[in-house]
Amino acid sequence: MNLRKLCCLAAILGSLQSCIKDAPQNPEADIVSFTVNKDDLTGDVYIDQTNAKIRLYLKEEAFQKGIVPTITVSAGGQVSPASGDSLKFDNNGIKKYVVTSNNGANKKTYTVEVINIGTWKFDFEKWDTLSYEGADFHYLNPAGEDGHSVWASGNIGIAITGVTEIADFPLHATANAYEGKYAAEIETRPGNALSGWMNIHIFPGSMFLGNFTTDSMMQNPLKCPQFGQPYRGMPKSFTGYYKYQPGAKFQDRNENIIAGKTDACAIYAVLYNGTERLDATNILTSERIIATAILPDGSAKADWTHFDIPFKVTGTPVAPNAQVMMAIIASSSSEGDFYRGAIGSKLVLDNIEIVHE
Amino acid sequence: MLGMLTAATQLFAQNNGNEQTKNNDFKPLLEHRILAGFNFGATAPVNFPNTIRKINGYWPQFCPSLGYELSYRATKKWGASVAVKMDYKGMGTKDEVQYFPTIITTSDGGRFAGTFSGQNQTTVRNAYVSFPVSAVFTPNDNWRFSLGGYVAWLFSSNFYGTVSDGYIRNGGPLGAKIIITEATFDFGKEMRTFDCGLQAGASRRVGKKLSVMGNLSWGLRPVFPGDFKGMDFPMYNIYLTLGVAYKI
Repeated sequence: MNLRKLCCLAAILGSLQSCIKDAPQNPEADIVSFTVNKDDLTGDVYIDQTNAKIRLYLKEEAFQKGIVPTITVSAGGQVSPASGDSLKFDNNGIKKYVVTSNNGANKKTYTVEVINIGTWKFDFEKWDTLSYEGADFHYLNPAGEDGHSVWASGNIGIAITGVTEIADFPLHATANAYEGKYAAEIETRPGNALSGWMNIHIFPGSMFLGNFTTDSMMQNPLKCPQFGQPYRGMPKSFTGYYKYQPGAKFQDRNENIIAGKTDACAIYAVLYNGTERLDATNILTSERIIATAILPDGSAKADWTHFDIPFKVTGTPVAPNAQVMMAIIASSSSEGDFYRGAIGSKLVLDNIEIVHE
Repeated sequence: MLGMLTAATQLFAQNNGNEQTKNNDFKPLLEHRILAGFNFGATAPVNFPNTIRKINGYWPQFCPSLGYELSYRATKKWGASVAVKMDYKGMGTKDEVQYFPTIITTSDGGRFAGTFSGQNQTTVRNAYVSFPVSAVFTPNDNWRFSLGGYVAWLFSSNFYGTVSDGYIRNGGPLGAKIIITEATFDFGKEMRTFDCGLQAGASRRVGKKLSVMGNLSWGLRPVFPGDFKGMDFPMYNIYLTLGVAYKI
């Protein structure tokens, strides 16, 4: 009896194994890494996989002379132009890289963007509508002066949980502007069933200078925002206009309403050393921080309120030629990084500026 | 799957030429049996998709099967039977998948589509009330064979597990990549409540009233409905009951 049982089990197991087919050919077509000589960079290269962008942060000389990137792609894939071909930033230079997957079925076209913030003034007049092939969502993101993306938010992460409509994303444009046609509105939104699986019950509103990477969304969401854009010299102050309305009920991570607690907004700028971006785990605690300008009062402001916050030097001042990064971060829930806040908290920002020394 | 069929054929083969039939005065009669045993097998695709790369483990669940069979022996050798059984069917498996398409829909109408590469562990344990109907061949006093079909209703379902050590790409192989250390899934509520299929069995008398039996049931209806996209291939209940039949 036992022997027969064993035989049958073995037969079943054996037959299952024998059913395994040949491995599927790789359908992925990513640029996995794009390596540039570190001396040419003002900020680490960022590959935006969702929007298929290679963002380069280059020193002036490198921009003039061109660079020679080393590119790796998904296993078995092909990239054109090839890794090691030089990339020049004149009219005839490479603008796009096309990766063909190992199975030949998929192509992903990456656009090269050279990011350089000329004027550190942001009026939020122009917005891009972002989506990607096959996706059923659309969300807004402020467009940079040259059309390149310098701002980011958690919107893409929220899109992945199934939010689709522009107005349902925390960051969007509003016609309620201090000046011009538009301002940036950030609103803490309710989570959904899928985010609930990750014990995320609110989507705190945020926008920041930098990039948002989806890789660590489940492992550690605090590592998703990659704060900062290359900066030169020392800033004097951080100025702008804002309005803030906290939502009615403040809730903790587990959706318990905390009576008597009111949500607060957070607006701050951080200057730090190096080319590697800080994230939400270390943006206010890293040893690389040089100076910060933090809005002291996150309470409700029904009317447009001006802020002018001098940078406070807390770390070692920069050597003249050192590479530094500037991060600007705004959130409609100051404890949003711990998924605590009030649904409906709304922060509107307009005409913000880093005033140079 | 071939191995299983071979095992079944061997059971049949042992019987050949065992005995002479003593075909004297036979009167048609009703027989009653209590059936008890355990189910071993799998809720699995018959044709493995190439996205399943490796089976790293398999273990049966505690799956008792208990029932009552009424049979009518029309002639000495031929008859028919009908039974009512409570059948647990389940298993655990660990496997490795690559570019495995999945679509998850949530109670609030949310939808996540993507392809997963990594490790998967699934536990299945479903309870059915099943009604097998068979033609029965009794070549001699020791052996008894049956062949027929069954219908079954699900009354309790479990289909859950974890995905780990991998990543999922939103929307397909070119979409946003999210690393997954470990996440759970539960498709128990998605399962179809009605199953039907073929079944064949053999039993050997070991006592005056007691026989040992083996009975293979092969589901022909996918366990998930067609609009379920958590797994993009049909899966069937394929189980072997090993146990005893007691004639009352």
